Amino acid sequence: MRNLLRSLTALALVSSGLIVALSLPASASSKVTTCFRLEKNVVHVKKFHGACGGGWLRKRPTPAPVADDAVETPGSASLTETGSTLLYPLWNIWAPAYQSEFSQVSVTTGGTGSGTGIADAASGTVDIGSSDAYLSSTQLTSTPNLLNIPLAISYQIIEYNIPGVTTHLKLNGTILSSIYQGKIVNWNDPAIAAVNPGVTLPNLKIVALHRSDGSGDTFIFSQYLADSDPTWASKYAYGTTISWPTITNELGENGNGGMVSGCQATVGCIAYVGISYLNSVLSDGDTYAQLENGNGQYEMPTSTTVAAEAAGFTAKTPASGTISMIDGKINGGYPIVNYEYAIVNKSQASTTTAKAIRSLLEWAIDPSYGQSAQYLGQVRFEPLPVKIVTQSYKQIKSIQ
Amino acid sequence: MGDDIASSGMTLPVVSDPTRRAFGLRRVGSFLRGSEESVWRWSARVASLIPLVGLVFVLTVLAIKAWPAIRVNGPGFLTRSAWSPGSTYGAPVRTDGVLHPVGSSYGAWPLIAGTLQTSAIALIVALPISLGTAFALTERLPRWLARPISFFVEILAGIPSVIIGLWGVLTLGPFLADHVYPFISNNMPNVPVLRYFKGNVGYGEGLLTSGLVLGLMIVPIIASTARDLFLQVPPLPKEGAEALGMTEAEVARRVTIPWVRSGLIGATVLGLGRALGETIAVAMITGSILGKVAPNVYGTMTTIAATIVSQLDSAATDGTGFAISTLAEAGLVLAVISVVVNVLARVIVNRTSQHLAPVGRG
Amino acid sequence: MATVTNSYPSTRSRRVREHFFRGLSLVALIFVIGPSLWLIADVVIRAVPHWQWSVLTTVPVGVGGGLENAILGTLVIMVGVLIIAGTIGVLTGIHFAELQQPRRNGKAGGNFLRMATDVMAGFPSIVLGYVGYVALCVGLHWGFSLLPALIVLSIMVTPYISKSTESALRQVPTNYREGAEALGMSTGYALRKVVIKSALPGIVTGLLIALAIAVGETAPLLYTAGITNNLPSMSLIHQPIAYLTYYVWTDYNQPIKATQYLSFDAALILIVLVLVLLVSSRLLVNRTQRYAEGRR
Repeated sequence: MRNLLRSLTALALVSSGLIVALSLPASASSKVTTCFRLEKNVVHVKKFHGACGGGWLRKRPTPAPVADDAVETPGSASLTETGSTLLYPLWNIWAPAYQSEFSQVSVTTGGTGSGTGIADAASGTVDIGSSDAYLSSTQLTSTPNLLNIPLAISYQIIEYNIPGVTTHLKLNGTILSSIYQGKIVNWNDPAIAAVNPGVTLPNLKIVALHRSDGSGDTFIFSQYLADSDPTWASKYAYGTTISWPTITNELGENGNGGMVSGCQATVGCIAYVGISYLNSVLSDGDTYAQLENGNGQYEMPTSTTVAAEAAGFTAKTPASGTISMIDGKINGGYPIVNYEYAIVNKSQASTTTAKAIRSLLEWAIDPSYGQSAQYLGQVRFEPLPVKIVTQSYKQIKSIQ
Repeated sequence: MGDDIASSGMTLPVVSDPTRRAFGLRRVGSFLRGSEESVWRWSARVASLIPLVGLVFVLTVLAIKAWPAIRVNGPGFLTRSAWSPGSTYGAPVRTDGVLHPVGSSYGAWPLIAGTLQTSAIALIVALPISLGTAFALTERLPRWLARPISFFVEILAGIPSVIIGLWGVLTLGPFLADHVYPFISNNMPNVPVLRYFKGNVGYGEGLLTSGLVLGLMIVPIIASTARDLFLQVPPLPKEGAEALGMTEAEVARRVTIPWVRSGLIGATVLGLGRALGETIAVAMITGSILGKVAPNVYGTMTTIAATIVSQLDSAATDGTGFAISTLAEAGLVLAVISVVVNVLARVIVNRTSQHLAPVGRG
Repeated sequence: MATVTNSYPSTRSRRVREHFFRGLSLVALIFVIGPSLWLIADVVIRAVPHWQWSVLTTVPVGVGGGLENAILGTLVIMVGVLIIAGTIGVLTGIHFAELQQPRRNGKAGGNFLRMATDVMAGFPSIVLGYVGYVALCVGLHWGFSLLPALIVLSIMVTPYISKSTESALRQVPTNYREGAEALGMSTGYALRKVVIKSALPGIVTGLLIALAIAVGETAPLLYTAGITNNLPSMSLIHQPIAYLTYYVWTDYNQPIKATQYLSFDAALILIVLVLVLLVSSRLLVNRTQRYAEGRR
């Protein structure tokens, strides 16, 4: 008995010692070197085995400071970020890149939904909350020190899984609203066929997917529906969580990831998904729709159409960043476009944390760093216009 | 000499000096041992109060958090179906002094129905399987096979529920939806009760799959306890019954099971409690649809526990705090159901065990 | 089981029922073993083809990486639960088995406390997680951290430990206690040197099973421990801690394959961990049954 306990203890000690021993060399040495190159005032990062290739430097060059932004150097800190699953893939690209320059700050990212991002930032359980939705007036009343700081411009696609249909169907807010209310139940419904002449739609039941968690994608999608359909606006309104109409064929999914994999597994599905998941959507063999904007034009979600929509709202964006860019009456603009917000509390408990948060956010909005195409291009986001960069920078400086 | 002892009123041993010193140390020793006993007693007494303190703490926090929602939602909370957070981006309104978003209306009936339905399916599935397994392990299999298999069943009890949910949603659900459910759905007669088994088969996420997976999770609990109980039935009554000509089935039905009935009920209720409170596996498999009871047995729905785990994050975005309050109310309903079931089980076990006097413990 | 006579049931219906019963019990066994094996095989099949040993030694980076933070975090949580719930549970079990003053009518005392402990044994874990979140993480401003997680898990697991301790202590033959008292040992001394020592295997078994339950919990930890990519720090509050079940729950349906593989890897590690705990407990039980002299 005693021997058994002794041997168990010895086994536990040996295995924990093994884990420690294995982790030490892994963190100490690495044959992979990170090399940098300055191109058009943007720092490009690339990993090489051994020495750097031609034109790449071991030492990280400093780009010329941008007029409206200056990245501070923080002390050692540990930051947590959680929230929007739409912004999450970009955070997973930003965080390692930021840490390769400022290794004294460790950043933990999470994709839990914009609702969680706002809630956790408000309660202080997380340092930076990400959200596709701006704060509501009720939230601002209950937590007055919360800021929503635009970090990038993103947009949403409507994907569907119809075997045999590979074209980009034309859909508008009225049709989508009817689908999600259960008034249109089949893909070959006359209403869909009317706006898509020449496309053979099969006799297939529509399964409408929606987010079961608090989601910024739900927020911008429901805003689009509310703008297009007055019935939806009065019955269901918009928000990060809404009361979805109960229809026969529907599914609730967790996160953008759940929407994509759920749609892939469900034939006949329709789902609203953030643009950062486009690669997964396409590799699943599904495709996405053209949407009708406020001027009645059907637009594809491309860099041009999104930039056009965002440009139409730049002048109107207030200093707080709170504005909806959904369904604007802008020529050639894609209707579901939004700012990605960082929800941060203006008054932080520790000045070190505040400085680290400021540093990370300044890095993110800097055109030479976070806003450069090598990061945003991977998720197909659009960079912030200069005016918004300045406004965001002012908000960031107020974090103390 | 004797007078001296009696008059001094103290029992003095007839000993030499060194032993007297040692005796003095023994007094200290006995004092320490006495205080060791009281240390044990008091620390054990304090420790045994802690679960009670925990229970009271949990119920108090729930009640305090749920009170605003109880006032506004009223008793209709248990019968309404729609789960509507209201317009969180509009201006809030005040009802009965409680701030909440305009248009918010919460109803937990589909949640309660979902919880009861999945637990019912789990019990219906688990009970025969557990009893059959216990009988197989105690009577049918040879000893060298029965021991590792019963150990395997106990391991199943320890597998984390999130992993069982993972298997359920990625493997079992699609398999059942592709191969088993269409067969059942197409071959069911169109009669009132069995009609619930017809219709849209879905893609594997739904009521029946969750019930089956939940049943698999509670089988080890009931089966291990049943096996232990069956092993404790003395051989005399069983052999007597067999001498009277009863078959094994009849022995099982008329001797073994009545003997251990109270223990079986206790084990079943333990499994039921686990099924009612199971959160993660159910959240992964039910399809997370708020607002309606499953239209047929394959339909997507949700349970109270699954709703709390998936809505708690987003409930905190409701700046009025009303959504969090409502979740506390739902949690309170679940806690009350769980406590009632547990207490009922103890009452039944106590009452039935008084009627059974063990005869001739072998 | 020996058949006393060659009793062949006379009526057909009884014979049919007998065969039905025999067949059904074996079928039931298959319905338990089959899905369990399928479950374990499924996790292994999903995890092993993309397994890399670096998963044990790196933290999550970007979309992929490893699980070192989660493994160490789970171990830290295990040790914490062992300390807190182990102490409270064992002492509670001792109280119920040994030190409870019997009632005047001769029955064992402490029914109310015992009922409270039993009620907590079946309590829904998410409700405990909710209470931990609103009362400890947000209410007391501890944030996502180790202490709320330990408190919630201990509340959940203590009843199991106390039940198994109590039953282990009750199985110690009364002769031992009587002999100890005859030798003049005080209660505390007898407890320490005689009773607990002989019940120790049962107590340790209960502890190991309770640890297996704590390791596999997700819902309460989601809202008390948070998540972090860093290795566990030694602070009890304000610093979130990672745990394996988080990755299984969050990453299983991610469209990016690297993240999905993290989920399956975490599931595999969890199964191995639980197996180690349960096999050790079974080895202990077998060991003691070999040395035990009294029968139940």
